[in-house]
Amino acid sequence: MTITEKIMARNSGRDKVVPGQLVWVDVHSIMTMDYLGEQCFKQFRSLGLNEVFDKDRVICVSDHLVPPPTEQFATMLNRWRDIVKAHDITYFYDLGRQGIAHQIMVEQGHVLPGKVSIGTDSHANTYGAVGAVGNAIGVTDAAVAMATGKCWLRVPESVKFVIKGQWQPYVMAKDLSLHIMGMMHWNGHLIYKTLEFTGEAIEALDMAGRMTLCNMTVDLGAKNGIVAPDQTTEAYLKGVAKGEWEMIASDPDAHYDAIYEVDVTNVGPTVALPDKLDDTVPVEKVVGRKFNKAFVGTCTNGRVEDFAVMAEILKGKQIHRDVNMIIVPASQTVYLEAMKRGYLQTLVEAGAAVDTPSCAACAGIHTGVAGDGDIVLSAGNRNMKGRMGSKNAQIYLTSPAVVAASAIRGEITDPRETGTY
Amino acid sequence: MAKITGKCWVASDYVMAYDIIIQRFWTAPIDKAENAKWVMAGVSPEFNRENGFIEGGYTFIVAAHNFAGGGKSIEHVVAGLMGAGIQAVFADSFSRLQFRNAINYGLPFITSKNIAKGCQTGDELVWDTDEGTVMNLRTGEVFHSVPVAPFVAEVAASGGLMNFVRHKIANGTIHELN
Repeated sequence: MTITEKIMARNSGRDKVVPGQLVWVDVHSIMTMDYLGEQCFKQFRSLGLNEVFDKDRVICVSDHLVPPPTEQFATMLNRWRDIVKAHDITYFYDLGRQGIAHQIMVEQGHVLPGKVSIGTDSHANTYGAVGAVGNAIGVTDAAVAMATGKCWLRVPESVKFVIKGQWQPYVMAKDLSLHIMGMMHWNGHLIYKTLEFTGEAIEALDMAGRMTLCNMTVDLGAKNGIVAPDQTTEAYLKGVAKGEWEMIASDPDAHYDAIYEVDVTNVGPTVALPDKLDDTVPVEKVVGRKFNKAFVGTCTNGRVEDFAVMAEILKGKQIHRDVNMIIVPASQTVYLEAMKRGYLQTLVEAGAAVDTPSCAACAGIHTGVAGDGDIVLSAGNRNMKGRMGSKNAQIYLTSPAVVAASAIRGEITDPRETGTY
Repeated sequence: MAKITGKCWVASDYVMAYDIIIQRFWTAPIDKAENAKWVMAGVSPEFNRENGFIEGGYTFIVAAHNFAGGGKSIEHVVAGLMGAGIQAVFADSFSRLQFRNAINYGLPFITSKNIAKGCQTGDELVWDTDEGTVMNLRTGEVFHSVPVAPFVAEVAASGGLMNFVRHKIANGTIHELN
């Protein structure tokens, strides 16, 4: 069996599962957040129950709407707080202790190797970074899981990506993600599948990079993405894990529907052109294109490691006067760490604005949205028309390194040329 | 034996969930009647007004690849389609997130290869739910579908996952979910 099949088997009390099978699995943790959470609790209550199956394992996070930009959202958040408190939820990451839910779930140890965790937001695939099966679900599934601790899942077919070679300077996990997006096509034939990332270049990847890679598997249409837990995973989880975990790996004779090999040595900084995620090109093809807004944050690229690369590039430099850059740490923990290490100071000195940890402009419903005519260079995860606000804005997606290097010139720039200007 | 007859609306490839329910309604309550008012608003300019899709009086949607894709997990998509009177969606493939929501709501998302090639918007279709066939009354062509899994049929017969679970709680079998 593959790692995903093994996790589904173990957490459903079976010795074996096969792709296509529908099983009810025990869920280790359930995440819900500010704009859907109230409806989850209401649906849960409609089952005639008052207490969730485990107060320590229903995780509540305020991320899409904090701090509230409108009176309507402020009122919505108040109802959300009331209902979370009424259910005496142990882990409530509200404004002041908040972060993007997927970042919180991983950094606070609510997702663990060998377990299944679900969340009411599509990027719950991020949890695969620690070797968990992470799945996005709707309000109904969350309500049922709050009641029963269980969720029905279809065992997916597995596809393996073997990532070989050495990471080149200023090439990040995001570049690999976008490279694979271009290779496999957006929501194409990976629909319903589990994507397993293995190989020396994955072993060399830190947790931040693994999170980026698993995060964007939902945008490939996949059910989940997963990296088998190793020493890097264990080192990360020590001290934060909420519970025991199990190191699980695929069997040597596991069956894969397909196996793809990528030599990361040949992957350079990569850019997705506006409107379509799979319309990706090496940065060289778009060097010189002008933009006026820069955005680095989100559950894809708002981590300390992302700001470290940016700070290295922007140290002692100035962001071009025609570019407005917003950076958004993915959580308060990330914010504090980036502050302690001096990255935020460097970035603010260069002319970047720091926004409160939240989803910010990514979903186009919070701060920093795009207006008519804006050309945004973003390290987020989606670039379709209107995603960040106006349908008359263009969004290029790329890595934090490309955003940082480009912001200096006000035009798309290859970060490998950094230091030559 | 059940046969459902009605008019279909034919979509192109890649009808996206975030176009079925546009951004300003993502944070609205999930409510079939309310979500239906602006459902499909981003899919076509003709639907970008209140009740724009409902007024078409469609019973079925016929689509090609990756219906309701693009990565949104919100249930407003399925609720809105049901509120607009849609009784089934036939497509080559569906996005995983909304396929799941459809099962949980008891709205049949039926996989039927190449059906979009044989249908035009406004065609009357007859869906035989037992046989799993769809006949286009204009052309006489019959399309076959992938059988629905027993669990999915059971959830649909209960009127959705919430009711399915409600029944299990009521009759004391909730711990037997496996």
